[in-house]
Amino acid sequence: MSEAVGTILELRDATIKFGGLTAVDAVNFSLQKGDLFGLIGPNGAGKTTCFNLITGVYKPTSGSIFFNGKDVTGTPSSKIARLGIARTFQNIRLYPALSVLENVVVGAFLRHKVPLASALAYLPGAIHETDELKAQAMQMLTILDLEKVANYRSADLPYGMQRRLEIARAMATQPQLLLLDEPAAGMNPNEKEDLMNTVRRLRDEHGKTVLVIEHDMRFVMNLCEKIFVLDHGEQIAYGPPSEVRNDPKVIEAYLGEAV
Amino acid sequence: MFWLKRAGSLAAGIGLCFLIDFLAHKQNDYAQRLIVFAALYITLSVSLNLINGITGQFSIGHAAFYQVGAYATGFITVKFFESAHMPPIAWLLLMLVVGALAAGVAGFVVGLPSLRLRGDYLAIVTMGFGEIIRIEVQNTPALGGSYGMSVTPKIQPIWLVWLLAISCIAVCRNLIKTAHGLPFLAVREDEVASSAMGVNVTRVKVTAFVIGSMFAGAAGALLAHQEGFITGNFFSMDISFIILTMVVLGGTGSITGSAVAAAFLFYLPEKLRDLKSPDGTALTVTPASIAAALLGVVIAVAIIKRVMDHSHRPKAVKAAMYLGAVVLAFISKLVIGMILMKIPAMSPPKIEAGQLRMVIFAVTLIVLMLLRPQGIFGHHEFSWTWLKSLFTRKKTGPTDPAPAVAA
Repeated sequence: MSEAVGTILELRDATIKFGGLTAVDAVNFSLQKGDLFGLIGPNGAGKTTCFNLITGVYKPTSGSIFFNGKDVTGTPSSKIARLGIARTFQNIRLYPALSVLENVVVGAFLRHKVPLASALAYLPGAIHETDELKAQAMQMLTILDLEKVANYRSADLPYGMQRRLEIARAMATQPQLLLLDEPAAGMNPNEKEDLMNTVRRLRDEHGKTVLVIEHDMRFVMNLCEKIFVLDHGEQIAYGPPSEVRNDPKVIEAYLGEAV
Repeated sequence: MFWLKRAGSLAAGIGLCFLIDFLAHKQNDYAQRLIVFAALYITLSVSLNLINGITGQFSIGHAAFYQVGAYATGFITVKFFESAHMPPIAWLLLMLVVGALAAGVAGFVVGLPSLRLRGDYLAIVTMGFGEIIRIEVQNTPALGGSYGMSVTPKIQPIWLVWLLAISCIAVCRNLIKTAHGLPFLAVREDEVASSAMGVNVTRVKVTAFVIGSMFAGAAGALLAHQEGFITGNFFSMDISFIILTMVVLGGTGSITGSAVAAAFLFYLPEKLRDLKSPDGTALTVTPASIAAALLGVVIAVAIIKRVMDHSHRPKAVKAAMYLGAVVLAFISKLVIGMILMKIPAMSPPKIEAGQLRMVIFAVTLIVLMLLRPQGIFGHHEFSWTWLKSLFTRKKTGPTDPAPAVAA
């Protein structure tokens, strides 16, 4: 895996052990700018752990992670977000008591420039910045088709909308790389179709590189151009959907060994 | 235009403080003291609300910051006031800053372990911190030990105490009104998600602790100079818990709720102290009527809770049901009282109602928490639009129907 010009994210022998369990074992993969990259595998394969390694929730036991050619291994979460990696969560982690708009403003807030003292004194700078961040957040809500519910409490939204709101919040940080952890979970077929189009638009119109974890095979195979398959923390396949789909190891991992 | 408005609201705030000062000076010493303490408790509860309600860090050692402010400035005043040759008010303003800084440093020190601890564990640490400060002071002869410390001279501007309370409310309200408040709320709601959104969780928590404790320290500085005497008992764990109760009762996270609850909880036991019967003598009650009253309260609460479960009824019907519950409880109180009076042990001797003030206080708290577990104001802030929305059935927020997309 050489460092190509367009490489945005690279995992080199990323490994993490929890006690005796090796959750992710020497995983190597890299994303080019503009990729729609799928990360799949059976339950417990280590997909979300991979996300947690990339976003600095866990520090790898060994190996390293490069973002835009820079070693970001063990960088804390909040710094990773500032560098340009945003994520959504498998178990939705919105701010339930806050409004939909406020949820997204939290994402946009990392670009604030006005010091806290100005906000505490309610000076014009802080007021204007608040309006500006709200306007930016509103744009994100429009992209994700949530602008009509901007003033609802996020906990009151139906499940599918909460998933989209998570994406809007992540997008508000203006990331280069977007990590989506099971974005289609709990959605009906129509919503999945819409979501697929939305994610494509995020790449095509907004220039994001997207890394998706998803269990819905139809969704991943249709959406992603490259797919990386994990099982028991190890790579078992990598390639375009057509190849991965027919890989005997993948079939075995999902359906069990042929008798 | 902005600055004109701002100057207007500043003038209004300061004007209000001087008005309170003016009115307070027409009252007797006891009433003046109550007015001062009400403002101190408002400051304490609103500042704790920033840590506890807004940022979600369960701290129950707020009296410690209050104490740090009081003792730091008391000590300095005793040592240096004479030689400083400053006008008392200027000196007090200086002490206000010193008290805030001292407590701010303490808040920083307590804020640091809070990075690693959550919920109950943080509560234990803050409680421990509060006790360490109190016991440490009690065993330091230079600070008066358990005899307490006399702070001379007394400097007692009532307006400044209220100015501090209003500033504290204003600062918290400003924080929540701007985007800068959102990371604080976000940390309360979900730390993991917040750091994934680029929020520096550590910094937010420590900032909340520092700002909150600075206000408590400033309040402590004013307390020391108002009272002219401070001792560890002023800052015991009870005080921390009373402040916490004010925050919870007002509605965790609601600034106006904390302020209102602080005034209410402070005045309630004081007002109960001198309950009078119509002829002007101290009000006395029989054990029978106490028992009957408690049963009456239980009946009222039970019925009202049942009514609350039928939330779909129109407001007018519900109001009538609440009223009915209260009337029914009152009647049953009278009936039960008459029956109990037949029992010799339950009729006289009479008890002075004033002695029961802490019982009434406790019952009030229990009833409020049963009927309104989210606090008086819930997550809301007091505002005229909110008040209106209570009476017009229209929910606050968007009016269009709920989103139709089902999960």
